[in-house]
Amino acid sequence: MKKKALALTLCASMVAASLAGCGGVKTRDEVKGTTAAAVSGEEQSQGAATATNNQPIDLQLLFYASNEDVANVLRDQLTKAGFNVKLNMQPDYSSYKTQLAAGNYDLDITGWTTVTGNPDYAVRSLFKTGGDYNNAPVEDPKVDELIEKAGTETPEEYQKTYTEFEKYLVDEMAYIVPLNGTIKTQAVNKDRMKVETVRLSKSRSMCWEMMEFQDGIDPQTEPLRVSQTISTLTSMDPIKGNDGSINTLNTNIYVRLVNLTDDDQVVADGSLSYNYAIADGNQDYYFLLRDDINFGRVQDGHAVDSGVLVGGEDVVFSLERAKDKESVPNHKTYSLHENMDTITLVTDIAELENTKVSGSDETVKAALEKGTPAAISSLVETKDAVDNAAGAYQVVKIRTVNPFPQVLNYLAHQSAGIVDAEVVKSINTYDVKTYDIQKDIAYGDQSTVTEGATYNNTLSCSGPYVMIKKNDYEVTFEANPAYRVGSEYEPHIKNVTVKFYKDSDSSLSGLRSGEIDILYSIPDNSFDLVRNSENLVLQELPSNAATYCTFNLSEGSPYRDVTLRKAVLAAINQEELLAVFNGARTPLYSTLSPLVNTGNVLTYVPGKSQELQAEYLKNKAN
Amino acid sequence: MENREKEYLKRENNRKLKKVQEFKATGFSAGATLVIVLILLFNSYSFKTGEIKPMVLSMAGGYFVTALIQAFIWVKMRNDIIKNNAVSKSTRILGFVMILFLATGNIFSAIAGFLTIKKEKNLEYQLSVYMLLTTVCVMLVSLINLFKPYVSNTFMPGMGLLAGVTVLDVIAMILVGKGVHGKKVNPKLKWLGGILILTAATGNIFAFILGMVLIVKIRHKDDMATIEWIEVIRRIFRDNMASLGFFVVTFLLSISICSYLTFDYYVATENDYSAILLSPSLVYPFGTDNYGRCVFTRIVFGARISLVVGILSTLVPIIIGGILGAVAGFYGNVIDNSIMRVLDILYAVPGILLAIAIVAAFGTSTFNLIMALSLGNVPIYARTVRATVLGLSNSEFVEAARACGAKDHVIILKHILPNSMAPIIVRATLSIGGAVLSTSSLSYLGLGVEPHIPEWGNILKIGSKYLETNSYLAIYPGLAIIILVLAFNYLGDGLRDALDPKLK
Repeated sequence: MKKKALALTLCASMVAASLAGCGGVKTRDEVKGTTAAAVSGEEQSQGAATATNNQPIDLQLLFYASNEDVANVLRDQLTKAGFNVKLNMQPDYSSYKTQLAAGNYDLDITGWTTVTGNPDYAVRSLFKTGGDYNNAPVEDPKVDELIEKAGTETPEEYQKTYTEFEKYLVDEMAYIVPLNGTIKTQAVNKDRMKVETVRLSKSRSMCWEMMEFQDGIDPQTEPLRVSQTISTLTSMDPIKGNDGSINTLNTNIYVRLVNLTDDDQVVADGSLSYNYAIADGNQDYYFLLRDDINFGRVQDGHAVDSGVLVGGEDVVFSLERAKDKESVPNHKTYSLHENMDTITLVTDIAELENTKVSGSDETVKAALEKGTPAAISSLVETKDAVDNAAGAYQVVKIRTVNPFPQVLNYLAHQSAGIVDAEVVKSINTYDVKTYDIQKDIAYGDQSTVTEGATYNNTLSCSGPYVMIKKNDYEVTFEANPAYRVGSEYEPHIKNVTVKFYKDSDSSLSGLRSGEIDILYSIPDNSFDLVRNSENLVLQELPSNAATYCTFNLSEGSPYRDVTLRKAVLAAINQEELLAVFNGARTPLYSTLSPLVNTGNVLTYVPGKSQELQAEYLKNKAN
Repeated sequence: MENREKEYLKRENNRKLKKVQEFKATGFSAGATLVIVLILLFNSYSFKTGEIKPMVLSMAGGYFVTALIQAFIWVKMRNDIIKNNAVSKSTRILGFVMILFLATGNIFSAIAGFLTIKKEKNLEYQLSVYMLLTTVCVMLVSLINLFKPYVSNTFMPGMGLLAGVTVLDVIAMILVGKGVHGKKVNPKLKWLGGILILTAATGNIFAFILGMVLIVKIRHKDDMATIEWIEVIRRIFRDNMASLGFFVVTFLLSISICSYLTFDYYVATENDYSAILLSPSLVYPFGTDNYGRCVFTRIVFGARISLVVGILSTLVPIIIGGILGAVAGFYGNVIDNSIMRVLDILYAVPGILLAIAIVAAFGTSTFNLIMALSLGNVPIYARTVRATVLGLSNSEFVEAARACGAKDHVIILKHILPNSMAPIIVRATLSIGGAVLSTSSLSYLGLGVEPHIPEWGNILKIGSKYLETNSYLAIYPGLAIIILVLAFNYLGDGLRDALDPKLK
């Protein structure tokens, strides 16, 4: 009896305690208000309460695995706004592309990086009718017109045009749903490197020649160690690739006519030209070439001075083949260079004297002469006759098809790297039309630098470094002994090793364990890890990459309706998305946001999406 | 001479002590509590900042006191047994103290307490103890929701229901303690059995078994023979680890059913952008993930998918494989050869690879996931069944059935299959654990269920990204998977021993 009483008391007290505890508790409905009631109330207030309103609008969201974070937030926000979201997640980019081509989506999460740092590249192929990457497709005459107009304008002029364009693209027509910009990051081992010498640029790839070790580390014997994830190199012929496998490597083995600063201004610093000038009319561009760079080649496994000057003939040859689709098989970058019409060497000094610089009274000659060893006294045709100290120079003139000042950005891209005319001609002897990948070995083929039987390094490098050899684990480089010797641009570190890591997480482990000195691009959620490491420094910079959504605009898709698209746009709250990324992403209005200061911002208004959805359904019912 | 006498006494004492179940359980519980104390102590000090967390430290202190009390009871029990060969009444009353420790979440202590307070510990009493513990634990876990800003709309009725079931379980325990002696069961308890089977709707398997045992025993009260399946269950409960495993499985099943009422699904799936990556606290016992979702609630809801997928993807191949294996074994020759060779081909493909291929081809959904995991297991069950059927189809009772003119399908279904269930049951319990792991690995690879749906592999996947900064995100789902898989394995082991005729 005693036991029974005890047990019952125990039990009763527990029940009592739990019920007492529950007394002051609020339920979900009390806190949030009944969702169903709220929605229908709102709809009634707009006088649009019909039977169809209770049916949520279907939306299939397509994305690939690396955008899972973004997709999660999108699904959450769209669901909260009343859409019935179905996810279509693809494990990799190629299966995503298949789904895209098959039209199995309403909304897809995509990304764009403007590698050249100029706004035209960020809109032309994406939104112009028939553009290479215009998948939706956006076919709107007003969009086309504004893109064309802005293309001919200088930076001061195009800001207004692009602002108008952006407003129309996003606010008015909701062709895209902007999600977020990204931050470029780089982690540096400060025990090994002088951090201030390691640059992080918005568009430009990592350049090695300016980097310095900490005192006490011998730059002649100790290699600089960096990493990349792709171990199959597309080609060391700069025009044959524009991807993560070679962009950094080719940037460092070939010099260009101009370079981009860390914030994407076009400059001649560290390039083959002393100066450049845009002639009045924005269609002619002049470049004054320097004579202190020779091609570096490989002999007995080391970089040697070939004694051959990088000259005007090489520039003309390189750019001619860059814009010619038929110059090599698998030409991947000619669309970047189509804007160039003619590339010539100027021999008449009077032309420079008689031409004015765009928007100024200065002559082109005066603009080109600034800071040169001697004034221009003669213009020579062959590089053998060049002698800058004596006033004998070469000047390259580029004429574009239409006025297009942004051509300079393309000339700063790695694909406009200057190659050795003689060497390339002597190797690429095959006929492009009958090219046989099994038989013909093209200039820059990765097999020629890969250790083993096929090794036959014929590269002739105009840049600060020369590629020596590659295997499955790394690529090694040596400084070009004839690259601007004695100047600040002479490579400081003699040897560079690029190691291959499978993914960014193992690269980060490599950096933390001291296997590499610098790591470009840190995984989003590891920023704090780097910040808290004693020997690492995190460099950050807003990048030109944008993450955004496009709609399925093909025939028959419900999202051809602008009201519905706007309803989706209104459902997205970028602030919440950015909160998830904890500072690793930035606000975005369009793919132009990182490039042009348009001042457009996207503001989230709660409830607006529901209004637009109701409006859409009402229109549809009528 | 003296030495040998000492040795003998020691061995004799050990023999006496070993026989007493509550003594073993109390010792185990005191040890386990000490381990918890150590874990808490370890966690109370932050190695990064050198800070001491007073909250955790006081919890460790509290647990340490309960461990000391349990050790004291253990010593007292030991003295009792050595002196009188029985636990004294005063010690048994101390068992209530150990039961009270359940309020601190100490299940081991509660089990030891329940075993201590009762002298005669028959199967029914043990079942009622575990049944009560399951309900109370589900209630305790659900009560954690009170710390949240709001609870689900059905929280109050749900808790009321659970409270009612708890009261019922306590009453049942007392009645069973009084009314069941050996094989004699008070016939009045028949209605109790019925009610208990009804309460099994909360997922409480123990209530179901207890109800069945009571009803069956009352119905067969005049039979002299023992009932085979009750014997099997009795043998399972003789094994401490197996019964603990059984308890964990039942608890998870029960919580995943009761969570329909007492937990808010939106807390697990809706992002809360103001609560991103919070450390564990009372509101978020296991912290929040990078979308601000409560990891604790996600794990509770994740149990449902893990269990459903685990159990279904074991049941489906049992049915398919069982039929194929039975047909192959019964008919032999050409049929046997053709079925088994096809299955051999299937067997040659690694299970997880097959699953990945199926999910990749048909898309991610729970149904596809179950199908993908099931298909790879079909040959295993077919082989097991075929082997048993081969042995059985020549046995006397099958001959007899045939002589009576029974049709083939009757022989297979009524005579052969029931007799070949034992190895299948064992294999199934063991492979449910494997299926849970496979589900989690597929979700981890992004091929399981949709990413926002709470599933243990999904939760772990997010955690793996934050291993160094917010390790709790990976630790808790990881522990949940480990515990469930271990529980199924121990239960499987116990079941194998219980079903093994040689170990009877």
